[in-house]
Amino acid sequence: MCFFGRNFFSTKSICFSFTGFPFPSGLKTSIMKTRFLILMALVFISSCSTNNDDEYQNLPINYQVPSNFPPLAYNMVNNPLTEKGFELGKKIFYDGRLASDGVVACGFCHMQEDAFTHHGHTFSHGVGDGIGTRNAPPIQNMAYQTQFFWDGAANHIELLSMSPISNELEMNGNIINIIKMMKNDSDYKKLYSQAFPGKEINSEYMLKALGQFMTMLTSSNSRFDKYRRNESGGTLTSEEIAGYQVFNQKCASCHATDIFTDNSFRNNGLPIDPKINDLGRFRVTEQEDDKYKFKVPSLRNIEKTSPYMHDGRFYTLEGVIDHYINGVTNTQNLDPGLNNSGTLGITITSNEKSQLVAFLKTLTDNEFLTNPKFAEF
Amino acid sequence: MKFQIKNIVAVLALALAFTSCTDDNETISGEGAIKLEFDNVYGAANLAFNTAYTNTNGEVIKVSNAIYIISNIVLTKEDGSTYTMPKSESYFFVNEADATSTILNLPNIPAANYTKVSFGVGVDQAQFNAGADGQGTMWTDAQALGMTWSWAAGYKFVKFEGTVTSTTHTNANFRVHTGKTGDIYNYATITLNFPNKALVRTNVTPQVHVLTDLKKVIEGTTVINFNEGLDVMGGTKVQNISANNVPNIFSIDHVHND
Repeated sequence: MCFFGRNFFSTKSICFSFTGFPFPSGLKTSIMKTRFLILMALVFISSCSTNNDDEYQNLPINYQVPSNFPPLAYNMVNNPLTEKGFELGKKIFYDGRLASDGVVACGFCHMQEDAFTHHGHTFSHGVGDGIGTRNAPPIQNMAYQTQFFWDGAANHIELLSMSPISNELEMNGNIINIIKMMKNDSDYKKLYSQAFPGKEINSEYMLKALGQFMTMLTSSNSRFDKYRRNESGGTLTSEEIAGYQVFNQKCASCHATDIFTDNSFRNNGLPIDPKINDLGRFRVTEQEDDKYKFKVPSLRNIEKTSPYMHDGRFYTLEGVIDHYINGVTNTQNLDPGLNNSGTLGITITSNEKSQLVAFLKTLTDNEFLTNPKFAEF
Repeated sequence: MKFQIKNIVAVLALALAFTSCTDDNETISGEGAIKLEFDNVYGAANLAFNTAYTNTNGEVIKVSNAIYIISNIVLTKEDGSTYTMPKSESYFFVNEADATSTILNLPNIPAANYTKVSFGVGVDQAQFNAGADGQGTMWTDAQALGMTWSWAAGYKFVKFEGTVTSTTHTNANFRVHTGKTGDIYNYATITLNFPNKALVRTNVTPQVHVLTDLKKVIEGTTVINFNEGLDVMGGTKVQNISANNVPNIFSIDHVHND
């Protein structure tokens, strides 16, 4: 441990350790040395008070938008990224006490190695083994998106956490109890005061901290990204490049930009599961022409986020592409892009299918998936 | 100066002039407070829970819950200028079940003569776009009153619940919840003229008595028939209630100054 004290005989500050003092030159007599030791002991004692935190400076995080990304959708002027804001957000993200059972943290269904999805689960099981009807979406590049969840139940990154925290099938949390818990927890008290000095612990700052954490979950260093930015490590095989061309012709109108979504809601012709009859966006707007429409998801790290679609019905990328080739059904509000004068779906040859899959795998960003800064432990 | 009648008269006239001017040339300065009281009624009757009210469509309703958000209060002075409540202190939950919540005590109001008030019902688009910024404890306050949505991130603007008896239902639970539905913000703004001026002074706190006719939430330009559905929580019904009905449910009964 190192604490800063002042050398009273000069203006330089020195790092002291427990085991020894750097006696400044010039202390010629033992009396002066004794006085020096006493002074240093006093410095040591005063530095050990809880006011030590006042000396900590919360450093801003210098976040750069990757050059191949669209602009940030999130205006952070009232919630600038800082180290402690991020740290607080991360702690909250992995804290099971937000849930009524003390176990189901955000990180329970959103696991880093699966790009913050729930690997292998069509639906996740929340508190009390509550099972929902929607597949846990990834948490990546949220700050570039304007609609969240499969139905756009939130359109601001700072407000979206209200839903899973409160939903009875997910975390079944009560914000009143959550804030009370945080106000009585010494780690939270310290982190909040460092992240938001002078402010009380309340839901505004909790949501802001989570907003900072989610913003930092930026996935932009896949092999595809490096290819796009002409960086080393960015070589694509000819099959992958061919796949990228097919993708741009046949998929990019909806899976647009290097975020791979246009943030719109569309019906991509999935046969309706009669057990669920999920009306998608209609649940939020209750507008007839929103029935069966779901948000176009980002395809980043798609290799890791299986199973696919709002209800996790496809386990493989080939299965997804097969759907677009011959699985599209003409349900209410089917996207016009998938209905070419009565011919449903997209024409994709089996060669193109392999190329597409090869291309999609280049979106895997191992740096993002293994970055210890985002990890629970 | 020589002692003369005309000088005495001049001095007296001046003295009189000054004393009689004090009331007309009162300098209004400083800050005071104003109270906005929201008094819920149902048609011609005071609103009370579990009391039967019959709508024009024959449906008989009893109310068990009535809560609404009043926000973005702006007061207009007699010279036309306005005072806007600071945004982060401008959201109130008026809850019929909690008498103290129905009187909004607004502090730090510049002393002046006020002629009207405007406010909104719910949370406005600008606040949604600002995310959590400025919300303070709003989520926590809303949670205590059941004024958050369970399937969308946001708040209920108007929560109006009870039971309905009609040709199709007997004591069935109805729920009317308005709020933002997707990209439609459903925020209603209302302006009310004061019948007499509210005189805010450092030592005078006027009270504005507003009547909220909750019957008009479901029986206005848009009529809600619960036999079409007991839960009114989204879509065009909520849009119509918010656009057509909510702006007309408020009126000012009186303003008294102290």
